[in-house]
Amino acid sequence: MPVLFISDLHLSPERPAVSRAFLVFLQERAVKASALYILGDLFEAWIGDDDPSDLSLEIQTALRTLSDSGVPLYIQQGNRDFMLGKGFAVNTGAKMLGDEAIIQHYGHRALVMHGDSLCTDDIDYQRFRRKARNPVYRWLLAHLPLKRRQKLASDWRAKSMAANSNKASAIMDVNKEAVAAVMTKYKVDVLIHGHTHRPDRHKIDSVRGNLGGQSERIVLGDWENFGWALSLDKNGYNLESFAIDGVYN
Amino acid sequence: MITFRTTMGDFSIELDFDKAPLTAANFLQYAKDDYYTGTIFHRVINGFMVQGGGMNADMSQKETRDCIENEADNGLKNEIGTLAMARTGEPHSASSQFFVNVSDNGFLNHSGKNMQGWGYAVFGKVVEGMDVIEHIKGVETGNHAGHGDVPVDPIEITETVISEEYAAK
Repeated sequence: MPVLFISDLHLSPERPAVSRAFLVFLQERAVKASALYILGDLFEAWIGDDDPSDLSLEIQTALRTLSDSGVPLYIQQGNRDFMLGKGFAVNTGAKMLGDEAIIQHYGHRALVMHGDSLCTDDIDYQRFRRKARNPVYRWLLAHLPLKRRQKLASDWRAKSMAANSNKASAIMDVNKEAVAAVMTKYKVDVLIHGHTHRPDRHKIDSVRGNLGGQSERIVLGDWENFGWALSLDKNGYNLESFAIDGVYN
Repeated sequence: MITFRTTMGDFSIELDFDKAPLTAANFLQYAKDDYYTGTIFHRVINGFMVQGGGMNADMSQKETRDCIENEADNGLKNEIGTLAMARTGEPHSASSQFFVNVSDNGFLNHSGKNMQGWGYAVFGKVVEGMDVIEHIKGVETGNHAGHGDVPVDPIEITETVISEEYAAK
């Protein structure tokens, strides 16, 4: 039974096909997995764990069904759903992981991250990130009235769609030094992350210096016309994609 | 059995008249009218499906008969080698266009009688020449006449051959 890793679904009411593909993924793939890791940006926007929207409830119910069936579920916050919190974890049975987490399965050890903190060349974004992670800012945001937060989220989604800000071209890629630094810090040969919407497997010269071996950076893909999942089993890692589009005349 | 001769080789299909009676009869009628001859596979996505049955080689759309009811709730699944009907966003809007699944596309199956969950009606399967479909799915595609994923070299159905058994239906 493989371990599955996904990220960057950017679920939103405006893209029902992606939500549907995710629900099918949970029912057909994840239920047969030995664990599911969601490495950030499951949602395009998350206004707080008290979100009463249909999408929020449907997805939480489906995740709860998965974890109740015995599949451990691990979730990281992304830069879009950075307000995912304890309430969500309680509702879904998920364990919330920190921004940098070590996983160990089938003899493989890897660091998993959303990946936004690696894009250190994007000064403006890093400024926003510091704000979004600031407890005072988060407390203020969480205590705005629900209506106000709903409006914020819908404005945010509209702006993001209009600016095509989920296209890879609009997102800065990771900084190599930042990658090397974090892999060295955790003494790992494999880093798995999302965020950049550039799904790929990069062989890199070992960042751990004197080992002489190769390290790898595996980048998960965003879900749009295709969905992406990384599986890990006794044969190693496999990055796969599958269609989530309809078949229209 | 219906055999389509195409510019990339022949493939044959069987229709499921028991589980998808309306869709199979609709498809057979188009085949008997020789509607599909001269149409192309205008949307090809490797890892997903190959779609045809409604566009001429110049990418003009052929006129169709009325739309049919969606029979996606018949228990047949969108698995590799199956045929299903393409449609618009409205569930009951299939006419002539069909597709062959080249992956197990579970997300296309019926899950509920609503806009999101209706799914795509499977009504038959490829019984011979799956290698031709496998070949088609790998061709080079690009943008053409406002459509994406269009094969760069058109893949046309040049002849439709209907078995005696099907001709008698």
